[in-house]
Order: sequence, then C-alpha cells, then structure tokens
Amino acid sequence: MSDTAQHTAFDLDLAIAHIAHWLPSQGPIKDFIHHNTLHAVQDYPFHDGVAVAAQVYGAKSYLPLADYLKRYNERRISDQALEWAIAQADCGVYQEESLRASLFEPDGHSHYPPQSLANHGIRSAWLNHLEIDLNGMVHPVMFRLLSNFLDQGISRWAMPKPDERFWDCVLRLVQNSLLPLYPFHQPVVRQMLDAGPDQVILNCLGKIVGDETLYGQYLLEVLLAHPGWSGMVRIIEIQPNVLLAPRAISLKELLAVELACELAFIDKKHGHTFLQIAQLPNLHEIPLLERDAINPKVPLKMRVWHEAMEWSLHSELLLALREQAPVEQIAEHAPNVQALFCIDDRECSLRRYLEDIDSGIETFGAPGFFGIDFLYQGLDDAYPVAQCPVVIKPKHLILESTDKPQPDKSDKGESLSTLHFGAHSMLRGWLYTQTLGLAYALRLGWSVLRPGGHLPGIQSLSEVEAHGHLHLLRESEELNEDGYLLGFSLTEMADRVGGLLRNIGLTKQFAPLIVVVAHGSSSVNNPHFAAYDCGACSGKPGAPNARAFAWMVNHPQVREILREHGIAIPAGTHFVPALHNTSRDEISYFDQQDLDKAARHELHRFQHSMQHALQRNARERCRWFELGPKSHENAEAHRHVVARASSIFEPRPELNHSNNLYCVVGRRNLTRHLFMDRRAFLQSYDPNSDHDGSILVKVLSAVIPVCGGINLEYLFSRIDNSVYGAGTKLPHNVIGLLGVANGVEGDLRTGLPSQMIEVHEPARLLMVVEQTTVIADQAIAMLGGWREWLDNEWIRLVACDPVSRELYLYSSKGWTVAELAAGRPLPVASCSEKIIVGQTRTIPVHELERRQG
Amino acid sequence: MSVLLLACVLLPLIGFLLIFFSPDHEHRIAEISLWMTRIKGVAVLGLLVAWAAHGFANFEYQWLVLYQHDDYQFPLLFFLDRVGAAYLFVVWAVFSAIVKYCRVYLHREAGYKRFFQAIFGFAFGLNLIVLSGSIDMLFAGWEIVGISSFLLIAFYRHRPQPVRNALRAYTIYRFCDVGLLVGTWMSHLLFHESQHFSQLLTMFDPDNIPPAGYASLSILSWLIILAASGKSAQFPFSFWLPRAMEGPTPSSAIFYGALSIHLGVFLLLRTMPIWSYHYLPRLIVLSIGVLTVCVATLAEKTQSNIKGQVAYASIAQVGIMFVELALGLEGLVLLHFMGNAFLRCYQLLVSPSIVAHLLRVEGNVDSDFYIKNNEQLTFLPASIRNSLPDVLQNTLYVFALQEGQLELLVKKIFWEPLKNVGRQLNAVSLWVKILAGLAMLLIIAIAASGVSSVARIYLSMPISLAMAVVSLSAFSNKRSPFQVWHSVALSSILAGVAVWLMVPSAWSDVALFFSGIIPSWALGVLALSVLLRHYNFADEPFVFRAFAETRPGWSLMLFLSFLGLVGFPITPAFLGEDLLLSHASSQHPWFAAPITVSFVINGIAIARVYLRLCMGRPVELRGAV
Repeated sequence: MSDTAQHTAFDLDLAIAHIAHWLPSQGPIKDFIHHNTLHAVQDYPFHDGVAVAAQVYGAKSYLPLADYLKRYNERRISDQALEWAIAQADCGVYQEESLRASLFEPDGHSHYPPQSLANHGIRSAWLNHLEIDLNGMVHPVMFRLLSNFLDQGISRWAMPKPDERFWDCVLRLVQNSLLPLYPFHQPVVRQMLDAGPDQVILNCLGKIVGDETLYGQYLLEVLLAHPGWSGMVRIIEIQPNVLLAPRAISLKELLAVELACELAFIDKKHGHTFLQIAQLPNLHEIPLLERDAINPKVPLKMRVWHEAMEWSLHSELLLALREQAPVEQIAEHAPNVQALFCIDDRECSLRRYLEDIDSGIETFGAPGFFGIDFLYQGLDDAYPVAQCPVVIKPKHLILESTDKPQPDKSDKGESLSTLHFGAHSMLRGWLYTQTLGLAYALRLGWSVLRPGGHLPGIQSLSEVEAHGHLHLLRESEELNEDGYLLGFSLTEMADRVGGLLRNIGLTKQFAPLIVVVAHGSSSVNNPHFAAYDCGACSGKPGAPNARAFAWMVNHPQVREILREHGIAIPAGTHFVPALHNTSRDEISYFDQQDLDKAARHELHRFQHSMQHALQRNARERCRWFELGPKSHENAEAHRHVVARASSIFEPRPELNHSNNLYCVVGRRNLTRHLFMDRRAFLQSYDPNSDHDGSILVKVLSAVIPVCGGINLEYLFSRIDNSVYGAGTKLPHNVIGLLGVANGVEGDLRTGLPSQMIEVHEPARLLMVVEQTTVIADQAIAMLGGWREWLDNEWIRLVACDPVSRELYLYSSKGWTVAELAAGRPLPVASCSEKIIVGQTRTIPVHELERRQG
Repeated sequence: MSVLLLACVLLPLIGFLLIFFSPDHEHRIAEISLWMTRIKGVAVLGLLVAWAAHGFANFEYQWLVLYQHDDYQFPLLFFLDRVGAAYLFVVWAVFSAIVKYCRVYLHREAGYKRFFQAIFGFAFGLNLIVLSGSIDMLFAGWEIVGISSFLLIAFYRHRPQPVRNALRAYTIYRFCDVGLLVGTWMSHLLFHESQHFSQLLTMFDPDNIPPAGYASLSILSWLIILAASGKSAQFPFSFWLPRAMEGPTPSSAIFYGALSIHLGVFLLLRTMPIWSYHYLPRLIVLSIGVLTVCVATLAEKTQSNIKGQVAYASIAQVGIMFVELALGLEGLVLLHFMGNAFLRCYQLLVSPSIVAHLLRVEGNVDSDFYIKNNEQLTFLPASIRNSLPDVLQNTLYVFALQEGQLELLVKKIFWEPLKNVGRQLNAVSLWVKILAGLAMLLIIAIAASGVSSVARIYLSMPISLAMAVVSLSAFSNKRSPFQVWHSVALSSILAGVAVWLMVPSAWSDVALFFSGIIPSWALGVLALSVLLRHYNFADEPFVFRAFAETRPGWSLMLFLSFLGLVGFPITPAFLGEDLLLSHASSQHPWFAAPITVSFVINGIAIARVYLRLCMGRPVELRGAV
C-alpha cells in the first residue's frame, strides 16, 4: 500500500476532530467549571442522548430500579406523576399495557451498566485474540510521559525544554539518550519516528488495523481507553492558556506516541507478523461505535420511573408557586437594607433566615460575578485568574495594591510548618526525618484529635484579608504584555453595574445600605477545592467581584452616568462588599472605610442579623451530616461546621450543590415565603420592566450555563459515579497539579467525587421564569446555542404568569399548561426549624406562615 | 507482663474477628475499632511500663507449643527488647491515629467493613512480627501482612489498575518471602533448637565458636537481606511501592508511608547478629542502601504525582537506614525509623492539600514558586544543564523517569525466563504429559513397593523436578482456572510425595500437609465450577469478572481455597510446609531449590486467577439469560 493512497482515503485531522467531541472537557483542577458531562450528545433529546452515552462509555443511565420503588413507597413519587410520565413516553397501546404490568417488577440486572462500546470494540476483540494486555502495558508508559510533560510544578525536574512540543520532547528522549526509553527502542518503532506524527500514525494504523474504514474507529477506542488524559490533552490543545506553565501538545501527537508504543509492545511479543484487525475472523459481528451506538434503545420502564420522580419533585415547587397565599402589594417605603447574593443554591436558606430575622431586609440574587468580568491578580497571587463564568472571555485585568509595607519576601528558606510539602529524599531529608520527624507524631495526633484547630497556612484561601485596594479605574488605553486592558473606564463600569441592576430589577427604592455578598468555601486536604467556590466565578471565591462592584457603584461619576441612563441611586445609599464562607458559615466585610455614620449603624444591625442567620443556617446544614451534632443548639451546629471545614480527615467539608434542583427567575415575592430546602438557584428579575424579553435573554444566557451546568454535572456524576464522576476521593492522587487519578499510574478522573454527590437526587433542573409565555418566547428565540438544552429537555422550563400565577411547561413543540402531580396538598409550617427537625432526606417545598405586621 | 504481651498480639485479632462477625453497620464497626485501639493502647503502655520496671531487660515468653513431633517443635514464642518496644509503640500510635482518622474519612464508603477488617488483619500481622520470638512466628506474621496488603491495594476492585498493582506488589512480596522461607529452614538447620531471637546474641558472641560455617551463614544472610529489601522496597525492588498507593489514602499512609515499609529494617535489626557477623553481608546491605538512595533520589525528582514522590522519598530514607544498619548504628536507625514513619504518614495523609498549597499558599508567601520562576520549570536544574552534554542530560532524565530501570531489570532477570519455560511446557503435546504422568505413577509405585533408602532418594529427584515443572505450567497458563488450580494442588502433592520418598518416617507430617492442601483444592474446584458454570473462561481471558460483587459467598470460598493452597497460616498446610522443608532438607539441601520455586510460583499463579475472577466491575450481560 503506498503512502499517497493512504492519504487520500483517510483524513487524519478530520477523524481526530470528529473523535474529540466524545472526550470529556474538564480542564485542570485549579479551576473547576461545571458543565454538562454529556455535552457530546446534547444535540439529542435528553433520554436518547443518555442512552447513546451509556452505550459508548458503558455507564448507567438511571438510578437502580429499587431506588425508584423505594421513593414510590415513601410517597415521594406520586401516582399522578407516574401517569404523567407514561403519557410523556409516547408509546403504543400494547407497549403501554406491558409497561404498566411490569412497572413494579424488580429485576436483577437493571443496576449494572451495559458493556462500553468504546472498550469492547474491535480493539479489545483483537487484543483478546493476540492474548496481550496492551492497556496494562501502554497506559503506564503513556501516563508517565504525559503527566511529566504537562506537570505544573510537582516534579522537581521538568521534562520539556522551553517551548518544546510533546512529540519533539519524546523524540529527543528516544533518540538522544544512552539509555533506551522503553519501549520506543524497538527497532521497528525507532526507525519510523523520524517521519513525523502524521506518518507514524498512518504507519502504525496500517500495521495494526489494515483496513482504512476502521482507522477512525480504532483511534476512537484508543483515546476512549483513557478518556481523562485524552480530554485533558484536547483542552490544552485548544485552550493553551488553561495552564500556568504553557505546554504545547495535541491529540495527534498523543496518538502518534501512543500508537508507536502499542506497536512496540506488540512487536516485542509477536514479532513483525501478527494478525491485523482487518483479518479478525468475526470482524463483522463486533459492534462499531459510530454505527451501532447512535441508534439508542431507551429502557422504557426506567425512563418512565425517572421522569415520574423528576415530575414529582418539580411539582412540589410548582404547586407551592401556584397555591401559596397571594402576596399583598409591597409597601411603598424602601427596605432598610438590601442584600445582593449569588444565585447559588447554598445562599437560598441564608436569604430565608435573614429575611425571617429582620423583615426590613430585602434580598436579591444574581450570578456571583455580579456582572463584572475580569481577570484578577490579588496582592499575594502568583498569576491572574478569570473571575467570571467560563462563557465570557474577560478583557480586563485588575490588580490589587496596598499601602502597607509587605513582609520581606527575600527569606526563601522553608518554613518549618510546611516542611512536609517537600519530599526530601536524600541528605536534607535524612536530617529532617532524624530530627523533626518525631514532631510529626505530635502534629498527627493533634490534627486527628483536635480538628478545627488552625492548620497553619493551608486554608487561608477564601478568608483572604482584603488589605489593599483594587486598581479598577483605567489610567491608560495601552494593553499590557498579555493583551489585557488594565482596569475599566467609567462608562464600562456604568454599563456593567447598570446592566446588573436592571437584570435584577433593582432600579428604584434603594435602601441606605446595600450589602453585596459574594461567596467562597474553605476546605483543607481537598484537591477539588475549586468546585466548592463560586461557579459563576469559574470556581473562585467571588470577593474581588463584590469589591469591584461596590467600588464602581459607589463611585460618584459612575452614579452620574447611571442617573443619565435612568437609574438614580440616592447619595445616601452605600454599597458594602462581603464574602460568605459557605463551608464555615462565616462572613467577612470589606472596604467599610467610606461609610457615614447612619450607614455604619445600619451595617452594624445587619451584621447582627447576619450572625444569627448564619447560625441557623449552619443548623439546617447539619441535618445532612450523619456524624454531625444531633442537638437543636444553633451554636453547636455552627462549631461543627467550622471544625468540619478545617479537619484533615473530613472528605465532606460541605455538601455543596448536592441539593440543587430548582432555578427560579423572578421577583423575590414569588419565593420569599417558601421553604425550598436549599434546593433553588434564585435569580432576581422583574417581569414588569422587561417588555420584549431583552433583559430575560441576558439573564438566561448567564443562568442557563451556570445552573444547568452544575445541575447536569451533579446529575451524571450521581447516576454513574465511576464513569461520569471521579469515584470516591479517598484513593485520589494529585497528578501534576492537573487533576486527580487513582493511584500513581491511573487515568485522570473527571467529574465529581462521590463524596460531593452521594446525597444528590439526580433530577434535571426545573427553571421557573416569572414571565408571560409571549415574552419568554421572544427571549428564547434570542437565546442562541443554549436553546439546545431547553429544546432537548436537558433543562425543564416553566413560565409562571406574573399576574395569574398560571404555569406553562415549555417543550420544543410549544407551551402547555403544566399538569401538576403533587400527591398531597401544599404543606404549611410556622418556621424553618419546625420543618427540618428530625429530617435527614430532602424535604418537599413548604409554605411558611407569614407574620403579621 | 506476659498477659499484657499476649494482649498486645491478640487484641487486633479479636478486633478483626469482632468486625468480621459484626453486621455491615458503620457505627458498630467504628465503635469496635475505636475501643480496640484504646484497649490496645492500655496493653501497649502497660507492657512498656512493666518492661521499663524490669530495667529494660530482654523478655521472652513461650505461650504454648503448637505442634511437636520428634525433635521438631513449633512453639508460640514471643520476645520483647529495645527494638521490639520501639516498633510496638510506633505501630500502636500510628494505627490508632489512622483508625481515628478513618472513622470519619471512610464514612459512607462502600467497603467500610472490608477496610477495617483488612486494617485489623494487618495490625495483627504487624504485632506478631514485632513481638515474635522466633523466625517461624515472624514468618507467619509476614504472610499475614502480605495478604492484607494485597487486599488493601486491590480495595477498589472495580478498576483494573488497582487489581493489577495488587498483583504486582504481591508478586514481589512472594518472591522475597522465599528469603524468609528458606531462611527459616536454614535457621532450623544451623541453630537446631535455638532459633530463638533471644539466643541469637549469645550465640554470635565473639568468644563462642560461630554456630555455622562461613558459606552457610553467608547464604542465610543473603536470604534475610533479600526478604528485607523486598518488603522495604529497596534496590532492586523499589518500583512496587509507588504503584501500591491504590487504596484509600490512609491505608497507603499506614502501609507504605509508615509501617510496612520499615518491616525490612525490623527484620535486619532482629537478625543483626547473623548477617553482621561477616563483612560480606554487611557490605551487601551497605551497597543496597547506597544504590537505593541514588536511584530513589533521582526517581523522586521526576515524579509528577504527589504520592509517588512521597513514596520515593521514603524509600530513599529507608535506604539510608540500611546504610546506618550496615555501619552498626542501631540506635540511630531506631530514631530514624520513628521520625520517618510519622513524617511520611503525615505527608501522605495531607497529600491532597498539595494543589492548594502550591497554587495558593506557596504562591502567596514564597516568591520562589516555580511557575513564576520559569527557570526552574525547564528541564533539568541549571547546574546539570550547564555541565553535562545533551545526550547525558537526556540519559539522566530517562533513567530517573523510568525509576532506574528497576522494573525492567527485575522483569528481565526473574520473570521472563520463568514465563518462557512455562509457555514452552504448556505447548508440549498431550501425549508427552500423559507419558510423564504415567512415569511418575510408576516411580511412586516402585518406591512404595519397598526399595532401599538410597534408591528412594534418587527416585524423589524426578518427582521434585516434576513439581517445579507443574508449577511453571500453572504460572503461564492464562486460559483455564481449573488447570491452574489442579496444577498448584498437584505440585503441592508432588512435594509431599517427594518428601515421603526421602524420609519415609515423615509420613504423618506429609499427611498433615495434605490435610490442608487437599480440602483447599477441593473447595476451590467446587467454587470455580459453581462460578464458571455459564462461562467459557478461555473466550475472554483478560476480562475481570467481578464475582466478589455478584457472587460474594462463592468468592469467599475461592479466597479461602487460595489462602489454603498458598500455605497461609489458616490451615495445617502452613505448619506442614515448614515441616516438609525441615525434614527433607535436613538431609538433602538441594531440595530447597525446587520447592521454593514452586512455592513462589504457585502463589502468583493462583492469585492471578483469583483476581481475574473476583475483581472488576460488573456489567450487564448482553444476551445472557
């Protein structure tokens, strides 16, 4: 076979581009961006997409049947919801009959996933035939090369020279070393390496596969045998700036090295002649991924059960929205304090308590970057980080500076308290272990027996002290060396601030004090720490955004421009930034130096209410912790969450978004008197100020990716934690600061670890928009790419009429009146504590009785 | 004092049994474990105080004699001295800290019970080793530690990687156990009744006549050093240690950070009089230490994962301990051991913090952070870059990247020849096998019909050769689990027959040995036939079949059979193995060679089959009824 013939028939670049979309797209672990785990199939309707993915990756599609039956017996799945789900399934009469007959029949096998096509295709059939455990040989070699090449700072010696590509680096080590780089020294491989990656791939495929129609399939199976590393390489290839120390690598180079490695091992065992894939005796019986997986077979019974569960849960909120007592018109006078929170579901309960404690407080919700998109480099940061949702590419860089003298940084010696972060193998290590090693006995004893004590220097992140001020105002139009603008102009500030205020409907009735509460989370011994921080800030604590927002909106000239645009903020109104630590339930306030006396007084009162709210919040969170305190003492609960966040043996510093289920886009009145069990993302939005959906579309295009991404990532990580999720975090080993793997030579694990998702109820997000269907339609039409999630039902959308509270369910065919399937009337309770007492599972939405006056 | 000592050894065993028989209920198990560590603490501290009150005198205690036959006896013998006391304390301290840590860390983990069982089994083995009074006792503990280590590495059995690495570690363990097995036998041979550790010191007193000749003492020393360097991941076996970090982080911390890795050092400390008597073994220990330090230090530089880095750092420190041992600095070694154990344990426990530490704290406090400082993140350090030519730089890097080529080396020297022989044996046609079988029967028949003792010895030679051959064929058999099981049993039976031929009076001991082997084999075959009823194993020999999850009962049976066949101290076969060796080789030392080969290989072959069958992630079987 001549080389030219190979080129014409098989387009390598096209094949790689096609394969790449099957790979997970999770970047290095320092930023954690929640996204749809199954983005590869989101162009299918939800159930079809899940079925395709299940076949490809060998994953489960739904919970085990027993779980649904259990929920049914606990009356968390109602009969109406089952009926509704059967109707949605759209099956024939006979099918329906047999479905109903078998609905409650337990089966022994539904909890095992199907065999993965990616791992049981032509490649594995061929390896079986050759009797060689190729993955076991090739993967350690490949992972070693990849992790050392991409390493961001764990190993002492780096593998690449500056600006060296992966391929060149491997080539250098193979060809210019006295010791052979195993197994690339096999003559057959060594000879072909000079030809460059393209030719190496084609040569190897020619020898291994032999049939061009199967080349693509083979490459796909090679890459999906280690999805974690393949996905990481792909991310770095297309977005090189996700790494701090830049590395040049591409999927093609990865494939070239890996195929050469495979060929070397096979050659070593079987010599030059071995059976090719094209010569396999039963070739036509082997399922091919792209041919056989895309005709999904959705398991009807499981689909019905899953939809019934989702619709039961969704109905609980919808019922409450429709049935709750109508809210009297808001009093004309402005509230005493307004507080702006992140939409995060973890703030849902805190807002409820805050308003309950002081009815003069009004809260708002908006994505926690508060509309200010920038790269931020704090005083102590080594590098700038993006502080905005991943869909936005920031153009502005904000630096922090201080007037205080800095501690002398010239002392580069290791401090004793962090000694254990160096490995110290030889002489210095000998000295240390001889002398200080015994001290670690005490330290170990201390951290095990007395968690919560301060571990020096580890958890300092989200409690960063704000010691400097932000350089927000741009002084020159010059770009810095990385192509960023340093700061914002006044108009840009006014645009951003005004945009946010308009989105949340806060354009009049400003209170004298407005607190802007960002959030972050502190945890120790947790490589996934970024997944605990603010999702709208790409997994960072949102403090810089809150500070920037408050600084901008406090700026007189910005207010001047805003006034021209119709947002008149009274001179007596002050904005104060704050940071809520969601794991420790603590809050810190920044930049209060400019407050006048009245505002200071208000802030003092607010702080008092907040402190109380945080304690009650801590107690509500404690009901989930099996090993937490069982008493009703708020203070004890609070001590527990603080200790939990700083003990080295606690794999669950908090449970994060694991309750997420609802997203409500509307006025606070819609949800103010509801107990939603920390399940709702709450975005403020005023339906009356938006006549053409232009505000709604702005809101939705931030809310859908952030909340939808969180929800879908939790959903799939929960459904199959070992394929879509990262498995249990207990054996995780940090690889090159890029990610975690099981053990020393495992594949990178993507998705969420089981400790984050185990109590999650895997249901799709229900997004309720307080708007008429007409205007909602206008907004959806402008939505662009994210519409795919709505049309294919990866997210359920319901419109709640602002006046009549009628509920309409969205589908790609149009709106239909939502038939609620709540099995019982809306429960009512007098206060949150009465609802949560003794409860250890999720609680249906309750209405809270309103206080008089 | 003797009661306290017994309590120290037996409490973990009681804990293990309590957990084993308690229902799979997290809080109950946690309660048991916490209480056991507390009681254990009382026992350990009490023992140490009592020992101190006796003026730190060496203390020996014989509980009972487990087995006695002619001049052979197997006493349960315990011994406490300075070394044992230091180890005992560290073992208890680390173990209790880990139990406390895991109580929360493993909360809601699927294998909670399994984990605590394995940890307690491990603690039992460890205490047995530390307090053992003779090499036999030590060997029993050694085996228990090996198996529990194997189980904890394969704790996450759904993924092939941990399972593969468990086998790798087990293989090395098994191989190095040869050292101890043969060492046990040699110590029987050399010291007769006095293999008590307490008597070793006096025996090697310079005033006395050395108890054995130069050659045999050297061989014994080498064997001990082999066993020690395998367990402590020293040259050339370093590579298994980082790969064993597959279990939950605390189990890696306790095994490979803190305790298990220092067992080799313990063995050397215990047997110091033996191997330090001549200079050559000392020199060997010294060079193993130095080589390990060099290789591990280089390998650590290129570890891009945090646990691997800690593992190599720890290996290097143990290497330094070997050097100190060779120089005779016992006290320093003990201090070093304690420091290293606690430091590495802590390092592994907080290893997940490394991301936050490097990206945030170090970025904050220390401008030395090397991401900023690109100079340091490019290839090798400047001192090397500037002084070495390119080709040597690359060579150095490749050497470090491949961890000193040690795995390749060990594979090439030890495993590949065995595999090749086995493969060729399996390729032999059926007729040859049948003929060989008939020949064996004939030999046995001749021997049984009564020939002179000299003739019997000559007849036993082909039998023992056949034993090794059968083991080898089991080793390279990938297709049929039944054949592996049969071969292993057959190989053990041939060993018994060979001993019987050599020493006819030993028939009762042979019978004892068989009473462990034959039921285990039968149980295994039964379990296999039940498990594999609907499968043809040879169709997919590399698939992990996850029976431990789908058929837990029969998997346990298979596991018990596995333990029985490899001579684990749960059946009489463990004693029998020891007896056979001592009988046969007391008169015919050559016999040690084939029997150790089969000992190692049988264990590996059978472990591999067990892993293939019982580990893995269950999948929906398409088209299955």
